Amino acid sequence: MSTKSGSLRWRVLLVLALAAIVPTIVVGVLAIMRARDDVQKEVRRGALAHIRALGAALDGTLQDSRRTVELAAATWADAPDDARGTQLLIARLRRDVPIVHALSIVDPEGSLRYGDPVPSGADVGSHSFGGYVGDAVRVGGRPVVQLVVQARGRTGELMGVFVATLDLGFVRDLVTAARLGEGARVVVVDGAGVPVATSDGAPIGTSSLAGIDPAVDRALGSSVEGTLSAAGWISAYRNLSGYQSLRGVRWAILHQQPEDEAYALARRTTRDTLIIGGAALALALALGVWFATRLTRPLAALAKRADAIATGHAEAGPPIEGPGEIGVLGQRIDEMAKRIAERHELQTALARGDRLASVGVMSAQVAHEINNPLTTVLGYAKLLQEDKPEGHPDRAALELIASEAERMKGIIGGLLEYARTPRQSDMSIAAAGKLEAPPITEPAQVVRHVGALLEPALKKTQARLATDVQSTKPLAIDAHALQQVLVNLVQNAAQAMTSPGTITIAVAPAPGGIATAITVADEGPGVPAKDRARVFDPFFTTKAAGSGTGLGLAVCKHLIATAGGSIEVGDGPNGKGAEFRLVIPNA
Amino acid sequence: MRPGLAIACALTACGGGESTGPVPIRFLHTFSADETELVNQAMQERGLAVDGSLVPFARGQQVIREILNAKEACPDVIRIDATWLPGLRAQLLPAPAELTSLDWTPEAAALAQLGGAWWGAPQAVDGLIVVRDAASPPPASASIDDLVAAARAARSEGRRHPLGLRVDGYWLVPWLRAERADLAARAITGDGATRAVAKFASLFGDVASPPPAAGAETPDELRRWNSHDVAYWITGPWQLGALHDPERVAVSPIAGAPRGGQLLVVPTCAKRPDQGWRLAAELASVAVETRFAQRFSTIPTRQAALAAAPPLSRAASEALRSAEMLPREPVTPLLFDDLNPALAAVVDGHATPEEAIEGVRRGWARLTRGAK
Repeated sequence: MSTKSGSLRWRVLLVLALAAIVPTIVVGVLAIMRARDDVQKEVRRGALAHIRALGAALDGTLQDSRRTVELAAATWADAPDDARGTQLLIARLRRDVPIVHALSIVDPEGSLRYGDPVPSGADVGSHSFGGYVGDAVRVGGRPVVQLVVQARGRTGELMGVFVATLDLGFVRDLVTAARLGEGARVVVVDGAGVPVATSDGAPIGTSSLAGIDPAVDRALGSSVEGTLSAAGWISAYRNLSGYQSLRGVRWAILHQQPEDEAYALARRTTRDTLIIGGAALALALALGVWFATRLTRPLAALAKRADAIATGHAEAGPPIEGPGEIGVLGQRIDEMAKRIAERHELQTALARGDRLASVGVMSAQVAHEINNPLTTVLGYAKLLQEDKPEGHPDRAALELIASEAERMKGIIGGLLEYARTPRQSDMSIAAAGKLEAPPITEPAQVVRHVGALLEPALKKTQARLATDVQSTKPLAIDAHALQQVLVNLVQNAAQAMTSPGTITIAVAPAPGGIATAITVADEGPGVPAKDRARVFDPFFTTKAAGSGTGLGLAVCKHLIATAGGSIEVGDGPNGKGAEFRLVIPNA
Repeated sequence: MRPGLAIACALTACGGGESTGPVPIRFLHTFSADETELVNQAMQERGLAVDGSLVPFARGQQVIREILNAKEACPDVIRIDATWLPGLRAQLLPAPAELTSLDWTPEAAALAQLGGAWWGAPQAVDGLIVVRDAASPPPASASIDDLVAAARAARSEGRRHPLGLRVDGYWLVPWLRAERADLAARAITGDGATRAVAKFASLFGDVASPPPAAGAETPDELRRWNSHDVAYWITGPWQLGALHDPERVAVSPIAGAPRGGQLLVVPTCAKRPDQGWRLAAELASVAVETRFAQRFSTIPTRQAALAAAPPLSRAASEALRSAEMLPREPVTPLLFDDLNPALAAVVDGHATPEEAIEGVRRGWARLTRGAK
């Protein structure tokens, strides 16, 4: 039984695991994967957004400078020979564009007309569609770009060229001022992969990172932006090179961060999720065990009760309690057990009645055979006694013979009475095979009749009869049989009571509602426990010799058993006296 | 990936790595951003490691020349505009015979040949065509007069300027050629160039839509076409891939239109010319050209690729059959530097055609002297 209960508990746990815990684990793992993926995407998005903003700032600064120089060039082209105006223009241009490191104005032939010497390598006047921003170069170790703007007159004719050297120091200032994550850096490289500026302020040198840093290779090889995870670093890159000459500077910007640092949030999220998830899982398991135990305990009790019923122990145990339907089921099994017990009790009584009936039939035959010669013996004993005068020595013997014969006739009469009582099965089935209606008796009426019948006799004793009829359901027993039983029980009680007391006949519904319980209780000495199993046996009596035949209670039991009922004896109310309890099926 | 391994990866730090591959082919190109991505993807699929670097198109000839002259980090292969070939020819290797014998279209073959020799693998053909709203009738002929007449007939209350035109010397070429002038320095001195500029400039405010904003020509033109403001649009095949509704598009030729294209060439300083030619062959392969045509409606240079190209690419190719290449002189691409602002000055009303052409003449004379 405990194995089955344990098995059920573990099965419930298994169901809980399959239904809740396993999906929780799966969902948790998926959530961790999703969170990690989201963090990675966010890291990439954030890095790209950062370098977009930085790139826009770099490009915007250069393009703003270009537009300002273009305006100056257009203004100058209207009066290219005005030396004083040109000097003022140059001074104003240097003030408005602070990143201008040097400025030259050359004529269409390439000769310097105003400003600083022309930087070597500057392409100043052909196929530039009005101007361009050249590649980053080093001048005195400083990264610069050449801005070339054609100065064209009203008719579009080339009047000269402005060549401005723009200091890219602002790029360094911009990237070093950027707020970066732990371990992150921003690098701006030119078209050859040589760093122009780094956020950590380290010397940039002139060595190219192309072929060394795969992210730089990817950035320079792409025309757009992207991310790359390599060598433990996550890099976001954006190629700032333009297709047309006006945005022609070739460079790229990269945001790089060690993956350990970049994905720290993902690791923390994973760790926290595992801790919280583990705790929640442990709590869920504990709750699951508790719930399974609570759920299976009444089920185990139900199973135990069912086993007991199956093995014939249907007597009521402690009530089975449980939640919801389980509690209802426990109540129903309790009720069912009680009904089975009653039915078993009735069946036992019936079986015993059958046995006794067989004995009774045989006894009746014997009694009948003995009764006739015994009558003869008694008759002749009395005749002989009448013939003997008083004081005759044989008279005492004859009286003894007569009295013993009378006693024997009493015994035989009891046996005949015992045997004459019809069995209910015999009553139910007629000889012709037709069903007869079972006897129906109103218990209240019988009780009243018994009271009236015994009232005179009880007045001579110290007993008083009381009745308590709480059930009026008709009973399936012959009224005379019930009356005989009750008379017998009340007379026995009265004889047993040696002091004033009350004999109570109580009629009440029996548990289960299919029978009625009738108790006859007295306030006498009671029936010793050792005798209770034998008081219903024929010829067993505790009365003085010659004052009882020992057949009264046997007849009572036989009558009740014949009706399909039962009779038991126990202590009276409050443990005082004796109580005979009859359970008789309702009609 | 097995589920257990996937879960383990979710709970730990599964990072990616990158293995070192073969030495990449160094490639200078003028592809746009989207084209670059397609090239990178296609070459990756073919297992070719490419170290690409973008050259600004407008200064491409100068930048490439500077790189080739410096002989540092010399590229293995370069994508150039066909007009740059005369200026760069001395620094290029002739194309191998196995490349020249492929099934090039006649227009493509003409791009790669100069002085009787092949100098590269043609990668794309382009030029000026008329992109026409299919609902509008085609011009009576390819002449610019009939084109302008058709555009004028297409005017309505909601579409007052149905002709799309860019203020650019390249777009002026059909008008120059109609007046028997050309981009050659000697031709600009005649009256034909002046008449051509005058006729060209007079279209704006009449049948041609206002010039697009400088620096934003492409988005401006696309917006006007997609909003049906323009019914006849003089443009190049490079715009076809960006059109929203290809079914709406018909293509017509324009007489005297310039035709050009892109070439893949290998410089003499290339450290691995064989790898350069290999990449050129891959980029000019039928499969890659077909992908380009399907993605960007470019005009393939291989007969087989052209046959597999979308209808719009084939129509553009057909329209360019009668187009003519620009003079194949080193100075030709430089001429636009002076012609463009002069043309803009006339369109803007700052200069007369005569004044503008006189300025161009002086500028071209200076370029010609420099070229000598």
